[in-house]
Amino acid sequence: MKKDPNKGYVALLGWSLSAVEAAESFDRRYVVVAPDWAEEYCRQHDIPYVPWNFERLNDRSMEIAQTLKDMGVNVAIPLFEETVEWAGAINSVLLNNPRLLGQAMLMRDKSLMKRRAQLGGIRVGIFEEAHDRDDVIRFLKRVNQTLLKLDGDPNDPIHLKAFDKAGCLGHRVIRTPDEVDAIPDEEFPSLMESHLDGWEFAVEAWIHNGKIRFLNISEYVSLGYSVFVPASPELESYRPQIRAQIEKLVKTFDIEFGFIHPEYFVTSDSEMYFGEVAYRPPGFKVFELLERVYGFNAYHALILSFDPKTTEEEITGFFPKEVEDADGYAGCFGVYPRRRVVSRLEIPAETEDHPYFESHELTPPLQETVTKRTAFGTHWGLMYFRGEDAEILKTLLKHQEELDFYV
Amino acid sequence: MSSDDTDEVQSKAEPDLQDIAQKRDALLVRLDEALTAMGRAPAFAKPGKLPRILDIARRVMFLEGGCAAVAARAEVLEQAGVFAGSDWSTPHILIPSLSRVALRSAEADLVVIESLSELRLLAVSQGWFLHPLMSSEQAHHYLTQVLALNLELLFSTPSEAERAQQGRLAQVPRNLLRYLAETIGYEHVIDQLIDEIWRIQQQRPIQVDTVKHMITQIAVCRGSGDINWGSSGQGADRLVSSLYGPTQATREDPGLEEYQRRLSSMDATALQYEATGFARAMHDTGLVSPYHAVMLRHLPEQGDHLLAECLGLSATGRDCLLCYRELVHALVAAAVHPGTPQAVYGLALMLERGILYQAPVAPALWRQLSLSLCAAAEQRLLRTFGDGVPPASRLLEGVLCMMGLPLGIGQGNNPTCQSARALSMWAHNDPDYLLQMVVWAARDDEIIMHFEGQPISSRASVGGVATEVPVDLDPVSLLVVPHLDRIYAEMGRRCVGREGDPHRWVNPEFHGWWSGRGFSINVDVATGQLHDLEGFVRHFYAAYHPFYNGNQPLIHPQPAGIAVTDSAARFIGWHAITLLRVTLDPAGIMRAYFYNPNNDSGQDWGDGVVVSTAGHGEHFGEASLPFEQFASRLYIYHYDPLEYGEPAQISREELDQVIGYVHRSWGAERVPAGALQAEQADGGAGAPE
Repeated sequence: MKKDPNKGYVALLGWSLSAVEAAESFDRRYVVVAPDWAEEYCRQHDIPYVPWNFERLNDRSMEIAQTLKDMGVNVAIPLFEETVEWAGAINSVLLNNPRLLGQAMLMRDKSLMKRRAQLGGIRVGIFEEAHDRDDVIRFLKRVNQTLLKLDGDPNDPIHLKAFDKAGCLGHRVIRTPDEVDAIPDEEFPSLMESHLDGWEFAVEAWIHNGKIRFLNISEYVSLGYSVFVPASPELESYRPQIRAQIEKLVKTFDIEFGFIHPEYFVTSDSEMYFGEVAYRPPGFKVFELLERVYGFNAYHALILSFDPKTTEEEITGFFPKEVEDADGYAGCFGVYPRRRVVSRLEIPAETEDHPYFESHELTPPLQETVTKRTAFGTHWGLMYFRGEDAEILKTLLKHQEELDFYV
Repeated sequence: MSSDDTDEVQSKAEPDLQDIAQKRDALLVRLDEALTAMGRAPAFAKPGKLPRILDIARRVMFLEGGCAAVAARAEVLEQAGVFAGSDWSTPHILIPSLSRVALRSAEADLVVIESLSELRLLAVSQGWFLHPLMSSEQAHHYLTQVLALNLELLFSTPSEAERAQQGRLAQVPRNLLRYLAETIGYEHVIDQLIDEIWRIQQQRPIQVDTVKHMITQIAVCRGSGDINWGSSGQGADRLVSSLYGPTQATREDPGLEEYQRRLSSMDATALQYEATGFARAMHDTGLVSPYHAVMLRHLPEQGDHLLAECLGLSATGRDCLLCYRELVHALVAAAVHPGTPQAVYGLALMLERGILYQAPVAPALWRQLSLSLCAAAEQRLLRTFGDGVPPASRLLEGVLCMMGLPLGIGQGNNPTCQSARALSMWAHNDPDYLLQMVVWAARDDEIIMHFEGQPISSRASVGGVATEVPVDLDPVSLLVVPHLDRIYAEMGRRCVGREGDPHRWVNPEFHGWWSGRGFSINVDVATGQLHDLEGFVRHFYAAYHPFYNGNQPLIHPQPAGIAVTDSAARFIGWHAITLLRVTLDPAGIMRAYFYNPNNDSGQDWGDGVVVSTAGHGEHFGEASLPFEQFASRLYIYHYDPLEYGEPAQISREELDQVIGYVHRSWGAERVPAGALQAEQADGGAGAPE
């Protein structure tokens, strides 16, 4: 698409084909900042590109910020958890606002993030840092004592998460002290949280000039397996409260622009608990799902919300009406092989023949033996569904968990 | 609606067709969306859109009318860039024969993109859109070739092997082929189909189910009258009638019970007339009508003269029948049923071969008649052939066919060419040994063979060459091959660590004493490079070519190994065959006649090497090549070191001819550095066999 020199010039941090595709078909100038393995591909396809290996921030970090500044780039957009702090560092230079780096560091540490939320008056569950397995056992015991459990009662589980990994990576559920032994050393230190019984959901919010411009609620059917948008009418009925919560979050974290992806719980007494927040596009292809139902390209929205040159009319004209303008519900399901030995991919006939089934991105198995899942981890690919009725979709997504896709 | 079974979908009545149409239309909406998205995407993002399109297209083509809907979108498919960056983007250089591989692939995407390309070319051939690279005549020509090459997809249900490979996917190429044939016209392929059936039947395979199925489809097509045949379909009559009405009294396919009634009221002349009719049809086509079986069961009461007539026996066969009449009667009673008609053909040819005169054969057949099968053997037969005929009768049919048609044994879709070759060799050369094998496998579920004095039990051996239990075999192979396969593999394992190719030791021990202990191989096992090609060829001529070995005809069938090449003369793999005869053909050309356990021997090996199965003096089931062409694909042979011929007399010219064939085909990349063309050759495709 023809680029408009009067609009912003953005840098995409990290390699995402969907993001590049969107940038290519949008009116902003862009450049991809990615490790050098992307170089040949970018050259082949005329994709503007600057090589950079994202490791931990170090004393060379200024170099990339200066390079982008010299090119005339206005803002950097993080595409992955690992590039969030880089975006903070770069933007603090590009936008001449040193606080952006601190904000980004906050977003990268789940423990710090929770404390900040607490300071802002946001409800969070019980949490603590764990440095070794003893910490985990102590926390598990204490949480369950608090719940007035007696010895022998089944424990309420606790959750263990890596400080700085995206989504479900490294997320474990611990119920008994035995399970603690299975945690490898390299997963420490990590964050422990009490388990909240309730409805878990995520929010995608685009923010410009400190205001929420579009707020989507993504409903989880089963954590780590399935999600759909927009949320069912029951969950959407909490929208005003949820919006208020997000506004509080935006204020607490001092977010002026960009995109956030927080996770919350609603407990049975309608209380909202903050889980965590990320400053980057969500996993599980929620952007694709949004496009399926609302028709707007969520990456375009991302660029708009980051670009300091975006005007008020442009951004208000861009977004459709939340929920009202959605055409049906779109969801996806992450497939994990259920058998220990698999030989081929076979979509169950009942799934393939369901009118809600749209497409899948599963590939034939590369190895025959399935590695045992230790944590919520990487699924083997997604199945996409779309239909008119949230309830049917939800049941359908749930049901997929009982089917074999790899046999 | 459940559509686990696609056949079910097709056979359902009207209201469900509406259902299917609805489902199809819903999918088409998605296909169109996906195509639009791909059309809009920048070039680098197009590949990412492809999987979704292929997946939806697969589901569309799965449904009735789906192929037509896809063909209608041919131009959109092309323009969205579905074929961009692949071989399919240049349709004018596509090779029709590759469609065979693509459509049978287990990889869904390959099957689908090939199908989409076929449908696009159909649209081009019908003038629905203009392709910049291909005219409608070119497209039409290409598609008739694709149809002709994939005929069995048009007429047969998925084989077990295909089912295992492709699963539900196997329906897609079938829907495609049917739609192509309907649109282009059956008349373009029916002649090839009939030719194909005759070509296969000239090799007289033991397994004729596929052929029978194809003939039935032709009969159905002709009966339905929906298709405009034009002048096509000549020669179908003999095929159809051989199954459904070979004689005067069966001409209108009256049904078995009615025919039995007719038989009981026939006089001797009428019976004689019927018997001759059956015999002629059977020997013409190699196919036996179920009516023939009814007739044969009726005859023993009428006298041996009619029985001989009904089997179409020559003086040799009749003599054999009269010598062993009780045994023959018992075999008819036990093995010949309307459900096992091919037993008749097997019996007739076994009598013609005169092998009953070998002392152990007749008593071994009596043992076979009263053999009780072990549970495992019964189960395997029942699972593969159903319970229409008792398993013991089914096995006996298989035994008769194998004894009558030693060269009709096929390995099915299994990597067990050595076992099939051994069975064929024994049936040909050592029939009572084969009968012994059958008893061990069927009664004891165990075969013990010896390797260099050490016993090897098929039970104790861990695994064979085949990873799955074969199902697409004749009854005898079905029981015996799994045992042989394990033993063969075990013999190979016992040779691990020896220098050189293990076939040197395994072949004689596995096949029989007559396999020559002299062993020649022209590939260096360690490097995969050619090794002493000239010496190899020279000694092969000396040992086997009648002009150089003192005009000694080949005595015993000899195991040999060939390097199979495709029609472009590229190396495909190593394969086991049996060298049967070397002699002048009717045109005066020296030919090697051999048995190929592959199910269809007629193959094009490239560089002008086309294996003939009929018309050059071949017996039923033999394949043949001019001697020098055969020698050029050979990489292993055995010989008797004491009968060595005269290597010195072979002319340079003859040697160079063979070596030229080798270097232009499978040997192209195997010429060792410094030799002849001094080309640096790559490691090759690894160790032989």
